[in-house]
Amino acid sequence: MITSVLDFWPVFLRGVGTTLWISWLGLILGGLLGALVGVAADSRFSVLRAFATIYTELFRSIPPLILFFGCFYGISFAFKVDLSPFTSATIALALEASAFMAGVVSAGIASVGRGQWEAAQASGMKFLQIMRYVIAPQALRVMLPPTVGVYIGTLKDSSLASVIGFVELTKSGLLVRESSGASFQAFLVVGVLYFVINYSISLGGAALERKFHIAK
Amino acid sequence: MQNDAGNRSGASPVLRITGLVKEFGNRTVINGVDLDVMPGEVVVIIGPSGTGKSTMLRCVNGLEDINGGTIAFEGELVRAKSREIVNLRRRIGMIFQNFNLYPHLTALQNVMLAPMKVLKQPRKKVEEQSRELFRKVRLEHRCDAYPNQLSGGEQQRVAIARTLAMEPHLMLFDEPTSALDPETVGDVLRVMEDLASEGRTMLVVTHEIGFARHVGSRMIFMDGGKIIEDRPPKDMIADPANPRTKQFLSSILQH
Repeated sequence: MITSVLDFWPVFLRGVGTTLWISWLGLILGGLLGALVGVAADSRFSVLRAFATIYTELFRSIPPLILFFGCFYGISFAFKVDLSPFTSATIALALEASAFMAGVVSAGIASVGRGQWEAAQASGMKFLQIMRYVIAPQALRVMLPPTVGVYIGTLKDSSLASVIGFVELTKSGLLVRESSGASFQAFLVVGVLYFVINYSISLGGAALERKFHIAK
Repeated sequence: MQNDAGNRSGASPVLRITGLVKEFGNRTVINGVDLDVMPGEVVVIIGPSGTGKSTMLRCVNGLEDINGGTIAFEGELVRAKSREIVNLRRRIGMIFQNFNLYPHLTALQNVMLAPMKVLKQPRKKVEEQSRELFRKVRLEHRCDAYPNQLSGGEQQRVAIARTLAMEPHLMLFDEPTSALDPETVGDVLRVMEDLASEGRTMLVVTHEIGFARHVGSRMIFMDGGKIIEDRPPKDMIADPANPRTKQFLSSILQH
């Protein structure tokens, strides 16, 4: 019976590709957004700090499923635009990832001691130069392990995009199930594929960590 | 490397502090300090901890904002929150108690960073100059080491080289040897002595009375946020005028 499901391997393969692509996109966009919010969280301006807190708490509290519905139906309704399932799902994943990445970025920046800022300031560097050449390289090393965690979380949540009709790995499994009638086998394959993907990401993250490790 | 700060402007002070007041919350740490530093002078600041010595240095390059008075560096007002502070800092070097080297960069990269990024000098020129500076601080064999592979004394000498790379007109030393193992203190003091003999203008907060005596052109005793005594080091050490100075000196000379 499992062989009949495996005949659908091109569907699964496309599902894997789509899942990797959309979760990667969500992580990158969420990372950029989260970096801005994370820097705001460590700002000396209280307005920016307040904004960062509200933003982070808000998107951390909303269940991802609601974000997907909100982005797919809500944005279309509110702004009278027709968003594709792909675009809606990407926005939803990016928003969710950004809330977690904001915390990661903020903690990463805070992990770099004040003395580093002062030494860089004393040498005449400007804020963005200090960030780029002194703070970011040190903060990124601290940020790497939790970022891998956020990526895995994003990738798993991307399965919810199936509810708004986006064909990623989970939706591919559902389609195979319909065509083959083999529910258990279809979900078994999907589950194994998720495991293989996420375990590979973990291993990759650990390898990167070893490569960039510095003793302080 | 030539230093032209010493003979550049005969009469006008490099640094002029007038009526400086600095508060942390409702605690006044500096309470009306006046101080002129002339080109080529090595001014050694001593005093009990918590009397505003380090804070004063940090005010000079705008790491701390001030609550009263003025600080003028080469005739320009130092204001911590102004845009021009970045330009003033290029000409004021600072050495920290804890070195604050960048741990992700090699010793050489630490020294090269600011000249390349702040002064936008070409890499080749900066690298030549930096290697020259490593010879000057007697660490030419340690260029490629990371900070965590260096001893405290070596790290502090790299930090001095990093500051020199910007060719500062004034160097601030904030207890440069306080965090060091005793056996490495001498190496750092020797480098500082070399700098003084080149005619560099230096403001040094330290407890190293031997250094003050041999190298300092003036010695300042601070207590309670004020300058209590300001005299040539040999005179002050031999015959402190103020009883508080006398008490402090005898307490640190005992060991």
